[in-house]
Amino acid sequence: MSPDNHKNIDLKFNTIRKEAEKRRAAFRDAPVPKIHIGMATCGIASGALETKKAFEEALVENNIEARIHTVGCFGHCYAEPVVIIDHPDSGFPPIFYHEVTPGKAKMLVKLFLGDGDPRFEHIYGATEENELIPSVTDFSRFNQEKRIVMEKCGRIDPEDIYDYIAAGGYSTLVRALKLDPEEVIKEVEHSGLRGRGGAGFPTGRKWKLAKSVIEQDKIVICNADEGDPGAYMDRTILESNPHQVLEGMAICAYAVGAQQAMVYVRSEYPLAVKLVTNAIQQAEKLGILGKGILDSTFDLKIDVFQGSGAFVCGEETALIRSIEGYRGMPRHRPPYPVQKGLWDKPTVINNVKTLASVPPILNHGATWYRGIGTQNSPGTAIFSIVGNVVHAGLVEIPMGVSLRTLIFDICGGIPNNKKFKAVQIGGPSGGCLNEDFLDTPIDFDSLTKAGAMMGSGGMVVMDEDTCMVEVARYFLDFTQKESCGKCTFCRIGTYHLLKILRRLTKGEGLEGDLELLETLSQDIQTGSLCGLGKTAPNPVLTSLKYFRNEYEAHAKEKRCPALMCRALTAFYFDLELCARGCDACATCCPVDAVFTTSNRKKGVDQELCVKCGECLVACPPEYDAVRKVSPPHLVPYIEKPPEKNKKDHK
Amino acid sequence: MMLKLLVDNQEIETREGKTLLQACLDNQIYIPNLCYLENVERPSASCRMCFVEIEGIKQPVPSCTVQVRDEMVVKTDTPGVRQLQRTALRLLLSVHDVDCKNCHANKNCELQNIAKFLKVGLKPKRLERYLKETQIDETHPFLNHYPNRCVLCGKCVHICRGKHGQSVLTFAKRGFDTVISTYSVTDVSSLACSDCGSCVKACPVGALALKESS
Amino acid sequence: MNQELTEEEKDTLKHVAIKLETFEKHRGNLIPILQMVQNNLSYLPSEALKIVAQHLGILESEVYGVATFYNQFRFHPPGKYPIKVCLGTACHVRAGDIILENFERKLEIPEGQTTPDRKFSIERVACVGCCALAPVAIIDETVHGHMAPSKVEGLILRIKLQEEMEERENKQHEPGQS
Repeated sequence: MSPDNHKNIDLKFNTIRKEAEKRRAAFRDAPVPKIHIGMATCGIASGALETKKAFEEALVENNIEARIHTVGCFGHCYAEPVVIIDHPDSGFPPIFYHEVTPGKAKMLVKLFLGDGDPRFEHIYGATEENELIPSVTDFSRFNQEKRIVMEKCGRIDPEDIYDYIAAGGYSTLVRALKLDPEEVIKEVEHSGLRGRGGAGFPTGRKWKLAKSVIEQDKIVICNADEGDPGAYMDRTILESNPHQVLEGMAICAYAVGAQQAMVYVRSEYPLAVKLVTNAIQQAEKLGILGKGILDSTFDLKIDVFQGSGAFVCGEETALIRSIEGYRGMPRHRPPYPVQKGLWDKPTVINNVKTLASVPPILNHGATWYRGIGTQNSPGTAIFSIVGNVVHAGLVEIPMGVSLRTLIFDICGGIPNNKKFKAVQIGGPSGGCLNEDFLDTPIDFDSLTKAGAMMGSGGMVVMDEDTCMVEVARYFLDFTQKESCGKCTFCRIGTYHLLKILRRLTKGEGLEGDLELLETLSQDIQTGSLCGLGKTAPNPVLTSLKYFRNEYEAHAKEKRCPALMCRALTAFYFDLELCARGCDACATCCPVDAVFTTSNRKKGVDQELCVKCGECLVACPPEYDAVRKVSPPHLVPYIEKPPEKNKKDHK
Repeated sequence: MMLKLLVDNQEIETREGKTLLQACLDNQIYIPNLCYLENVERPSASCRMCFVEIEGIKQPVPSCTVQVRDEMVVKTDTPGVRQLQRTALRLLLSVHDVDCKNCHANKNCELQNIAKFLKVGLKPKRLERYLKETQIDETHPFLNHYPNRCVLCGKCVHICRGKHGQSVLTFAKRGFDTVISTYSVTDVSSLACSDCGSCVKACPVGALALKESS
Repeated sequence: MNQELTEEEKDTLKHVAIKLETFEKHRGNLIPILQMVQNNLSYLPSEALKIVAQHLGILESEVYGVATFYNQFRFHPPGKYPIKVCLGTACHVRAGDIILENFERKLEIPEGQTTPDRKFSIERVACVGCCALAPVAIIDETVHGHMAPSKVEGLILRIKLQEEMEERENKQHEPGQS
């Protein structure tokens, strides 16, 4: 763009930035307390809406003035609803409160905002260093994170573009527009950024390929079709800071020469759809998107396309087919989308996290980015860590951190004094690793070498009570349901795998099942058409490799060592411990499987029992009489008295 | 331009722009295949039968997706290729109602041919058999469809679309439940089906048949 | 799919037909259109597939083929109180399948179906994003966290009681009664 153009861009953007700064200053300097509430899907699911309402009501009731600032997600799902109260007049720093129920909210308004007592017993930490209250950064969950993509998540209001701009947003786009597209691509290439959608393809190289296609009409797609069960970082980013993604898209479009872009987001994410649509409208209104961006000659129209719920549409050729209005069945590559993509036009498809990484990279420079993470995997990785782990949630860490550090230091390890057993990384396409791999550094290549993969960033931590055969069955159940049905291996092969795993978990394994699982898995890996099929057997192959004895116990002894597979376990009450006349278990049993013995203790009717484990929870700890065993025939025989009184009950 | 290829140590000549599968078939080198159609811009590559090994590429690749190159060195019968082909065939047979003597495609069936070629029995022992509930879909006014014979190659869908602009036949549902469907085709007058029959001819097995009355 | 449309649904369908005109006749609009139809009718009856096909000038079978591919689209009316049981990874590890089973047992329908009185339907969903509350079930729009098998009956009972109360109130307000 010409220098004239540069001047226009600066002029236009400076006006917008001044307005943003003015608004931020007005908010910051208002002489009232500020209440920041995390309102992404996870917060709302945990009751953030009720909490917000409670704050509003309590402020009115107590006649206190304060500003409520709704922000996105902090990533601390275990602590939701999360609230930060900034009350400078109290003399305290901004304070981070966790699990703020409506009751707690009302109390905080009355006692902290009203009387200046921050209620120490409810404090999680201060959000800045100070002398009064320990800071949250004393916790490793905070200080070992490195936030680049999620830096602004939970700090700004995702519904307010000025909030993003005041925090430095869109200034990188301004800088990019003043560079040659080639320079932008070169910078991204130098940074070593690799696609965060799973495969880790170098982003700069993809852009370069797209740039080199001569055709004029190009398209940029942001892939937010996050379908991995238990992974939700793309959603969180779109819900907490949609503008950073849009800024990344605009930079990408400028670099490759596209005038059309699309955010492909799952319709199951209504809040993300709403917020990103709103963000686009706001940006267009300010002239940051649309025709003649910031008075330059660059146009970009961004649309939102709602994916209709097909995991396979995360695969780029399937994604394209679904936008075109067809069944989302993947196609053989090449041609790759950068050559022939949506409506046969050259198309760059990047994941949400990839695009959101671009503004910080251009802002701080490729060298800075290369300094984070490892040689071959620079930058950060975002995981959604769930399962048997204390501090579940979203974590952004530099690449190269070991699994041990992540699980035990940052996320607080395994709850309830249980032992670590396995970690499943990369969702249904990933693998299960045992404790021998805890010191594996987290990066694209090391994880792949270990048999897992970075994938989308789902991570499930499992304790000793988790059965690996059952976990493999769960993931296979998912991929099998999500197979598009196009190619033979995936359509029929995964069905057989699932059936075999199912019969193993039911104790109906056949001779040679483990070998069949293994060979079939390998053939599906090599033979399938797309990534879904090629990676679907990973959970089976890795668990077979690292937990073979567990498979053998299921196959040969019909026993589930982790006592998880319901068909292979049974409950009974230890009559030595069972308390006469106690009815705790009987009242909670959903199927009336608990009967009273002739001496008023309890027994389980094994025919009726559905093995839900409610009795185990209900049995008062002072008796602790419920026992779970595998295989089921280990249950001692307890006589059930004839049902003579049935009529009396009615 | 003519190109020279070495397939199974035999030199063959072919024109540029052909797929490797086509080039081999033209030269009487048989590679099992079910979903391949000549002159289609983007191959379906869904049956996963036509694997070959190409020098310089680690894993077997479907030959329908490869454009011929000069001096390509190809092997069609390595253990790796055969392993994949046999598994693919066994998988297809595991959802196939093997009742050849009552099937109109008997002795004119690609599955039979491939099984013979690969020396695989029609009733694989290790895999359980899973059949769909519907034996015959008789909803179409002129056609009968047999889901338990269908290999989902998609030739019928493609041929119908090519011939009539739109396809009466379509894939429906997803994954293991995928079927060929003629959903709610009831308006007989608008159909050219009565004297077309292209889909029936294209079917490599006996999954489609014209109704006897029509 | 052969269920008769209710009068209300017929009205909505007319409304849908009008809205359809705002969509360009472009194949790429097929999925957005189907989404719009389902948002209005809460499922895709065959009558709706027909008008969509007509609008886009494609065969009904084509529309059916696309619609049946995606999880989002339903072909049966959901219940008045749709129950969604999360079977995301975190919920699975915490026995979400037992919760699902309990709903199925109590309502006597398998997942994916609606009770004959159209009051309840059960659906399994992948992660709803409240993994810390696992296992989770969503009834109507309300998230119920930390589910337990014994809570299932109570939830259904509560809705049924609520319904009965509403009905009774409605009856009282009806003129000519009481």
